[in-house]
Amino acid sequence: MKAILVIITFLFSLLYSNILQSQTINWGNLKSEERHILNVNAGWEYSFVYGLSYGYHLKTKMPIILESSISFASGEVIFDDFKTKIGGQIHIYRIENFRFNAAIHGIYRRYGNPIVTLQNFGADASITIGYYKPKWFVAGEFGFDKAIVTHFKHTQIYEEVYPEVKNGWYEPSTGGNFNFGIQGGYSFKKSDLTLRAGKIITQDFKTTPMIPFYVQLGYNYKLD
Amino acid sequence: MKTNLLYSAVIAVLIFFFIGCENENNINESGYLVPKTVDEDSSIPSIFVNGTQLHAETFGNPNDPMLIFLHGGPGSDYRNGLNVQELADDGYYVIFYDQRGSGLSKRHDKKSYSIQLVLDDLTAVIEYYRTSPNQKVFLFGHSWGAMLGTAYVNSYPDKIDGLILAEPGGLNKKLLDEYGEMSRKINIFSEVTSNLLYVDQFITGKENQHAILDYKYGISSSFSYAKGNTEGIPGPSPFWRIGTTVLESFIDISENDGFDFTTNLDQYQTKVLFLYGELNKSYGLNFAQREAAYFPVSEIEEVKGTGHEMIYFKWENVEPLVLNYLNNLK
Repeated sequence: MKAILVIITFLFSLLYSNILQSQTINWGNLKSEERHILNVNAGWEYSFVYGLSYGYHLKTKMPIILESSISFASGEVIFDDFKTKIGGQIHIYRIENFRFNAAIHGIYRRYGNPIVTLQNFGADASITIGYYKPKWFVAGEFGFDKAIVTHFKHTQIYEEVYPEVKNGWYEPSTGGNFNFGIQGGYSFKKSDLTLRAGKIITQDFKTTPMIPFYVQLGYNYKLD
Repeated sequence: MKTNLLYSAVIAVLIFFFIGCENENNINESGYLVPKTVDEDSSIPSIFVNGTQLHAETFGNPNDPMLIFLHGGPGSDYRNGLNVQELADDGYYVIFYDQRGSGLSKRHDKKSYSIQLVLDDLTAVIEYYRTSPNQKVFLFGHSWGAMLGTAYVNSYPDKIDGLILAEPGGLNKKLLDEYGEMSRKINIFSEVTSNLLYVDQFITGKENQHAILDYKYGISSSFSYAKGNTEGIPGPSPFWRIGTTVLESFIDISENDGFDFTTNLDQYQTKVLFLYGELNKSYGLNFAQREAAYFPVSEIEEVKGTGHEMIYFKWENVEPLVLNYLNNLK
């Protein structure tokens, strides 16, 4: 069942072209001829992360950006903790300078420590409502990130702690977090400098991650 | 071409998931990622006291002086303290139990925990195992267990015939905060920090979903023995299962209400043995002296070649100190 759900999410994200880490776009500055959006970012999202992403601006009446991204958690071992996303965002509605946008992504992420390696397929979805001008923008964002299905592979350290531990895929969903916050940015020439910040709470609305905040500084460069 | 690529990707993903999800395990249940608790597995030795079921076992002659081991945490278990059972060969009735909501003991609702409740549990454990009114009772606490032992003596100074405290993390809120600052310094760019925090997007767990929460805390335990840790912990030590809910509950109690286990310690006239590890840079002689100063009579001993987890890693250096102390009070 979980597999089907993940596939549907993945397909949906492919066809329709990210919440916590979609590209932060100034929709008021994005020109129709600008097709490629390159982004670098860094900030705190569960831990200190560095990211790269690429967005492709489709030639559609309703602005859509297909995007993919990768981010790595800081630390001496680079490739043990990372997250990749594929999906997109769409500008749905506009009243003068106010714009309503939505985004959805399929996620593959990995976590490794001396005890276990986790691989997870998940999805996120978000909405952004903001005031967009050609030179600047400010918006509120709300999103949900679901860890749909996770594979556990334990090291000898944990197998000594609990010899009967079962490696493999786990269901139902192993986690889910909501986020809400603000984003804003300054645009110049073909570039945007963006900042996002907000709070993360777990899906039961009672508990929070150990560090329940996120902040991300980003830079976009747009090409025709 | 693009369509073919898309179809290929979809088929690959389909195959991957249907093969991968063949044997899905249930994360909500004990027995998959964490062992079952005593109320879930009747083969685990346990006792029913004070309205709960505790994982417990004993070593030695039941008529010998009792030595009750109090494990750390809150929420950890007595597995890394099992070396203490060797004192049974020296004429002590050694009793181990996982505290309420800890280790393999039964889990309870987060809101049900209090300091008084775990003190009442200890009273009940003593009554359960005591074979005569004159049987002496000694407490041996490690870390949080040493704090608990102090709290017990602070409330019931006449009930305990001897107290061994191995690096209590703070006998009141102020000392606990100081120890926490010294022992839990975080570098936000380090691998250790990522190992501790990045997992929050993979596993969440709701309040009282004990199997998930306990597992999640268990896998983050590598933080405590990470390279360069200030507590002098050289590597992993064994545990059964971390009681995350009781840990979080006592953190909340500490933050919201504070605590002070020193208010009545001047009534305890028996000598107390303090142990600290030579390699624990966060504790040391100075901190031990400050804690020992609350007791009228105390002895401080340094355990050579080890840090906070002295009972597991350097029992051979701990045992003579403990045995000498106990034999003088036997």
